[in-house]
Amino acid sequence: MEIYPPLPPIMIHSLALAPVTAIVSAFAMPLIGLTIKNRKVWDAFALTISTIVFILTGIGYATVRYLGKPFVYLLGGWPPPVGIVYEVDEFAALLGLVSAFIIWLVVIYGVKYFDSNEDGMEWYYTMLLGLEAGVLGCIYTGDVFNVFVLFEVLSITSYGLVAFWNRRGECIEAAIKYSLIGALATTIYFLAVTFIYASLGTLNMADIAAKIRGLFFPVTGEPYGSIALGVGLFLALSIWAFTVEAGVAPNHFRVLDAYQVSPSTVAALLSAVAANVGFYLLARYLITLLSGARAVETIVNAGLLIVLIMGLVSIIVGSFLMIVQSDVNRILAYSSVLNYGYVCLAIGLATPLGIIAALFHMINHAVAKTLIFLTAGVYVKASGTRRLDGMEGVGRYAPITSALMVIAALALAGVPPFNGFVSKLILYEALLEVNLAPLVIIIVLSSALSLLGYLKIIYHAYTKPPMKDYGKVEPPKAMLWPMIILAALCIILGVASPWIYDMFIEPAAHTIFETDKFIEVAYEFAEKLLIGVRI
Amino acid sequence: MTSIVSQALWIYFYITLIGLIAIAVYGIVVRPNLLKKIIALSILGDTANTFIIFLGFRRGGAAVPIIPTIKPTLEELLWFKETAVDPLPQCLVITAIVINMSVTAFLIALAIQLYRLYGTLDVRKAVRLRG
Repeated sequence: MEIYPPLPPIMIHSLALAPVTAIVSAFAMPLIGLTIKNRKVWDAFALTISTIVFILTGIGYATVRYLGKPFVYLLGGWPPPVGIVYEVDEFAALLGLVSAFIIWLVVIYGVKYFDSNEDGMEWYYTMLLGLEAGVLGCIYTGDVFNVFVLFEVLSITSYGLVAFWNRRGECIEAAIKYSLIGALATTIYFLAVTFIYASLGTLNMADIAAKIRGLFFPVTGEPYGSIALGVGLFLALSIWAFTVEAGVAPNHFRVLDAYQVSPSTVAALLSAVAANVGFYLLARYLITLLSGARAVETIVNAGLLIVLIMGLVSIIVGSFLMIVQSDVNRILAYSSVLNYGYVCLAIGLATPLGIIAALFHMINHAVAKTLIFLTAGVYVKASGTRRLDGMEGVGRYAPITSALMVIAALALAGVPPFNGFVSKLILYEALLEVNLAPLVIIIVLSSALSLLGYLKIIYHAYTKPPMKDYGKVEPPKAMLWPMIILAALCIILGVASPWIYDMFIEPAAHTIFETDKFIEVAYEFAEKLLIGVRI
Repeated sequence: MTSIVSQALWIYFYITLIGLIAIAVYGIVVRPNLLKKIIALSILGDTANTFIIFLGFRRGGAAVPIIPTIKPTLEELLWFKETAVDPLPQCLVITAIVINMSVTAFLIALAIQLYRLYGTLDVRKAVRLRG
C-alpha cells in the first residue's frame, strides 16, 4: 500500500468508499425491506447510510485539500490507463461533499414528509441511495466510460424516483417523457465515448488530456486518424447529452414535468444534485481535458460558445415562462432552468472568474433550491394541491416555513445579503472582464423577472386571506430542522462570502484549469506499468 | 477488384449505421406509440454497440484475443500481437447491453402502468386524459 501517500487508511479509501457504500446499501435495501416489514428500520438504515456517506465525502475533501493535488485511487490495484481510476481534484471533492450534504438533509426531511402508510418506501430509499452512488461516482471518476456507467446509475434511479407515485397518471406520463429522452441522451453519450476511443485509443481522462496535447503517456498507443474529427464528434455528442441530462434549454422540456409532479424531495434532489453532475462534466471535459490544446482549439471554442448560447436561451426561456405559471412546482422548475442558464453561461466563458461563478452558483442554487422545494412541499402537502389558487393563505398557518421560503426566494432572486446575490455578482464581474456587458443587463432583468415569480408564490400562499381552515400545517421538527439548516447556509454563504470565497470556492475552481497537475498525477502511476513494478 | 468491393462494403456498412441511428431517433421522437418508442431505443442502443464492435475489428487476419497456452512462447506472443482484435470494445459492449436491458425493462414496466391507468399506449392520448 506504499503507492499512496502516507495517510491514515480512512483518508485514502474514503473517496472510493463513499459511492461503494451507497450502492451496496442500495442493493441491501430491498432485502431489508423483504425481511423486516417496519418502516422505522428502513428510515434508520437510509439515514445511517446517508450520514456515513456524507462523513466519507467530508474526509475525502479533507484528504484532497491536505495533499494539494488531485488524488488518484486505483480500483482493483490497476494503474491508469489500464484500470478504472478515481481521480479527484478539489473541484470534484467539494461538489461531492455538497451533493452528499444535500442528499443527507433531504433524507431527514423525507422521513416525515411521506405518510406513514405510504407504499413502497423501501424502493424509494433503494433509488435514493442508488442516485447518491451515481452522483458521487460521476463526480469522482477519472474514466470516460465509467462516467457512462455511473451516468446510467444516476439516470435510472432518477427515472424510478420520478415514477415513485406510480398510481398517479401524471407521474407515469412525466416518468415516460423523462426516461425516454434520458435514455436517448445516455446512449448518445455512449456513442461519444466510442468516438474518443476510436481516435485516441484510451478512455482515461488524464490520458486523453495528454494525447490531445501531443504528450507521451505509457501503454496506450499513438492517436489514430484525425484527432480533430474524433474529438469534435465526442464533444458535440457529449455536450448534447449533458445539457439534456441537466435540463438546459432548449432541452428542458423533460425536466419541467418531472419536477412538477414528483414528490418535493425528489424534485429537490434532481434539481439541486443530479443537474450539477451535468455541469461538472461539461466543465471537466471542455476545460480540463480539451481547452488549451492546439489541435482542437477551434472545436473547443465552438463548444464553449454553444454552451454559452444555450445558457442565454435558458435564462430567457426560464425567466419569461416562470412568471406565467400557476403551479407552484412548475414555477420552481422554470426557476431551475433559469439558474442552469446562469451556470452554463459562466462555464461558457471559460475564464477563471467564470468557473468560480459557475461553482459558487451551483452550490448556492443547490442550497436555495432544495430549501424552496422543501418549503413548497409543506404547502402542497397541507393544501392537497399544487395549484396556487388552491393554496391561498396556507402560509399563515405555518409562520416558520413561510419565513424560510421567503429566505429561499430572496436568495434565488439574488437579493443581498443572501448567497444568490454573491454568485451573480461574480458572474457580472466575469462578464465585464471579457467585455460582454450587454449580457449583464439580461441577467439583471431575468433576476428581476424571477423575483416576480417567487413573489407570486408568497403572495398566494401568505398574503391572501386563507380560503379555509388548513388545520396543522407547520411540519414536525424532523422536517423543520433540515430546512432551518439550509436557510442558515443561505445566509452564511452570503454574509461570510469573502471568507468562503477565499477558503473554498477560489482554490477549488482553480483546480479545473490545472491540466498539467491532472495529467502528472496519473502519469506517476502509469510510469510504474512501463518499468514493470508490481503494485 | 476485390479492394473496390470491400471498399463498397465498408461504405455500405457506414451508411447502414447512420441510417439506423436516424431511424431510431425518428422512432423515439416522432412515433406516438410507447412500444414503438421503446423498440426504437433498443435499435439505437444496438447500433451503438455494433459500431463499437466494428472499431475493435482489424482488417485482415483477425482472431479471438486469447492466448491458448499458460506460458506462451515468443512466437505465440508475436502471433497474438499480429492477429488479436481489440478486446476492450467487447467489454464495453457487454456493459452497455446489460444497461440497455435494464433501461428497457424499466420502460416496459412504465408502459404496463400507463396502459393500466389510461387504457392506451399512445403517448398523445395519455396526455389528453390528464384531468
